[in-house]
Amino acid sequence: MSTSAKIKRLDQRPMKDAILSKNKFRFLGLTLDDFIKYFFQGNAMIAIVVLALITISLFSSGIWFIPQNYQNLVVYRQAGLEYVDYLRQEIDDHTALTRYLSNLRLQQMQLLLKEGKSPEEAQTALAPLDAFIAAYGDAATPLNDMLSEQTDIASAIKDKHNSQQEELHGRELLLKAGKKEEAAALQVEPIDFKASVQPLLDMRDAYIEANGIFAETLSNLIFHPPRMVSRSLQPKMDRFRELSRTYLIELPKYEDQILNWEQFKPIPKYKAVTSFLFGRQWLTASFWQDWYGIIPLLVGSLTVSFVALVIAIPFGVGAAIYINQIASPTEQNLIKPYIEFISAIPSVVLGFFGIAVLGQSMRWLSQQEWLAWVPGFPIQERLNIFTAGALLALMAVPTIFTLTEDAINNVPRAFKEASYALGATRLQTILKIMIPASLSGIISAVLLGLGRVVGETMVVLLCAGGRIEIPDFTQGLGAFFQPVHTMTGIIAQEMGEVVQGSIHFHALFMVGIILFLLSLVINYLAQQVVHKYKISIG
Amino acid sequence: MNENAPAVKPHHTVNYMSESQASESARPSETLAIEPEHHKRARTLIDIEHVDFFYGKSHALHDINLKIKEKLVTAFIGPSGCGKSTLLRCLNRMNDLIDGTRVANGAIKIHGVDIYNPDVDVIELRKRVGMVFQKSNPFPKSIYENIVYGLRLQGINNKSRLDEVVERSLRGAALWEEVRDRLHDSALGLSGGQQQRLCIARAIAVEPEIILMDEPCSALDPIATAKVEELIHELKKDYTIVIVTHNMQQAGRCSDMTAFFYLGKLIEFDATEKIFTNPSQKQTEDYITGRFG
Ligand SMILES: Nc1ncnc2c1ncn2[C@@H]1O[C@H](COP(=O)(O)OP(=O)(O)OP(=O)(O)O)[C@@H](O)[C@H]1O
Ligand SMILES: [Mg+2]
Repeated sequence: MSTSAKIKRLDQRPMKDAILSKNKFRFLGLTLDDFIKYFFQGNAMIAIVVLALITISLFSSGIWFIPQNYQNLVVYRQAGLEYVDYLRQEIDDHTALTRYLSNLRLQQMQLLLKEGKSPEEAQTALAPLDAFIAAYGDAATPLNDMLSEQTDIASAIKDKHNSQQEELHGRELLLKAGKKEEAAALQVEPIDFKASVQPLLDMRDAYIEANGIFAETLSNLIFHPPRMVSRSLQPKMDRFRELSRTYLIELPKYEDQILNWEQFKPIPKYKAVTSFLFGRQWLTASFWQDWYGIIPLLVGSLTVSFVALVIAIPFGVGAAIYINQIASPTEQNLIKPYIEFISAIPSVVLGFFGIAVLGQSMRWLSQQEWLAWVPGFPIQERLNIFTAGALLALMAVPTIFTLTEDAINNVPRAFKEASYALGATRLQTILKIMIPASLSGIISAVLLGLGRVVGETMVVLLCAGGRIEIPDFTQGLGAFFQPVHTMTGIIAQEMGEVVQGSIHFHALFMVGIILFLLSLVINYLAQQVVHKYKISIG
Repeated sequence: MNENAPAVKPHHTVNYMSESQASESARPSETLAIEPEHHKRARTLIDIEHVDFFYGKSHALHDINLKIKEKLVTAFIGPSGCGKSTLLRCLNRMNDLIDGTRVANGAIKIHGVDIYNPDVDVIELRKRVGMVFQKSNPFPKSIYENIVYGLRLQGINNKSRLDEVVERSLRGAALWEEVRDRLHDSALGLSGGQQQRLCIARAIAVEPEIILMDEPCSALDPIATAKVEELIHELKKDYTIVIVTHNMQQAGRCSDMTAFFYLGKLIEFDATEKIFTNPSQKQTEDYITGRFG
């Protein structure tokens, strides 16, 4: 049917004229559409350019670390520090054994006191052990003396080298300023590494001799170790003998290292990078030798993040499922904004809370008798991986919660209805339908939560304990109650005080690069997962 | 005779229509399968008594009285928004999933038990009252896992038992031949019609007594529709079926009893052939003849 009345259009022109008309607004030959397009295009471009600039500046600063670190390694070898460190290693290993003994003595003492002996009686009973420990420790005295002498020589060489470098730098500055005469007046004496190190090498014979006596003393001592007063500690003493024996067998290795050391053996170029990536020590501003190994910081960041996720995943995902599937609307309106509010808490405030409340109460808890079975209890440090991880978990929960809830919301309602219609309970529907169908969404939520946690600075700086060391994982779960330092924490802490342009400065940039790459990878993975998720639902 | 009518094999052919009625395009031009007397003899399985239903404050069903007979196909028809789906979903308490819904008055009894009694186990109820939805909704799992889902829920994990159920259900839903070689492929790879039959197979796998179908063919082409209708004919031997449909021919072809709803009220409920040939209410006649407006 058609209406006979003529249709009244707003635009009375015939169609042909209307669609061919091009009397749009124009300025400089551009239409309004063009302006809108260029405006947003410009915004996007600026964002990309800024990101690129950040990346470039990060890399262009960080890259300087590599030649500087190479130089650092070369000096370490040529100034003889490496040589001295071989001896230091030998002595450190011996010291560790002595420490083991002292520990054993402490345990024995406590045991005796517990058995009701008076302190004097206990001292008497321990006399043979004390004598043994003293003799064992003293065996290294000649070596120790030698080490301190060598340390002095080597650090003197290094200091000289450093001041010479500074003079060279000063001369360069003068030259640049055009003050040629003054520069010429500044005589820089080149340092002769070979001659300077010679006194160290001359001590080799004395070392061999001292080492022989050392080995003999030790083997005599461990031939007749004192019996422990308490039977129960005897296995530990036996273990000590075993360790000592291994040490003795390995002594020639130290000797070999010292005898075969080559001062001018070239250092492979890749070492400049690998000593950073796989270095197990981050040691700065030391009188001896600085090391820039990222492993302790990386491990610190990862363990803290791991703890944070282990805590945040059940809470975040659980809360999301509860809110989405189980809670009444009133509960929803109450809990949802509450959880989302957590992310608005400034991280400094969380850090305060961590130090004052969480760390303190954790330590109090760990000292309770009935919790002694927990690995790592009682804890020594109130600020440790767990404290920082627990607080970071609090920061990750809102992210994980919100994104998980979105993912569950995206599961078609029809799946849920079909499941219920087949006689599924609520729990069955959640476990068998809702979670599998939103799994990739949940995974990407967790990954983004991880990204949030890895990049967080304030909380780890305040609460992770700030000890730059790889946690002792031989303690099992107890390792999670040890203090660590993190990549973000170290940058925030040291960036303010380092000399601009120094190797330390550039090393911090390298840490920044690693952090940047890590976040990039995490975000990329999250996007990949989300991408897959969209396809599987559609 | 209507050329488009899918090939349903009736037991015998009776033409209930006068010449003038047959010219109405909305009328079922095919024939009806069972004699009206059968219906009277059948036992009442679902007894809906004076039911009022609310979505929050909105009153969706008004004083519904309806007796659904065992092993017959009952069709719900009526214009959009009149409450067909709402009533259907009351029968397995699917409306419980929607916040703020309630059955305010009356009772829905199955085998004489009021299913809204607090003592009723809803999970058990839904195992006995299966449902097929308007939009096919297979789980994003394999065909096999879709069908055994209901059994696994009940803790049945015996492989040979599950295999047997899968084959029987798929045969029952006339899908076995098409999917027997790809039981472990994703169910989402099936065509729309196959997915709907899969959903029917999934519903009959748990062997319910009653199957509720909410416009099961609305998204299907005529051939798939014909298959589902044929299936309904087969299923009727073992199950009591309630079907919501907008397709008058379909209601005519495959149902024994028809209920016509309008604005949340049950206007007329009678044997299908009676409704389509000689409705007692003016509104019913207007609706089925397409003069509704
Ligand atoms: N979840 C809901 N919440 C509130 N009101 C609803 C809800 N579902 C349906 N209604 C209302 O209840 C009335 C009946 O809806 P119902 O879905 O039962 O209609 P219907 O007969 O199945 O329609 P159609 O043929 O279009 O599917 C309608 O007015 C509808 O708006
Ligand atoms: Mg409906």
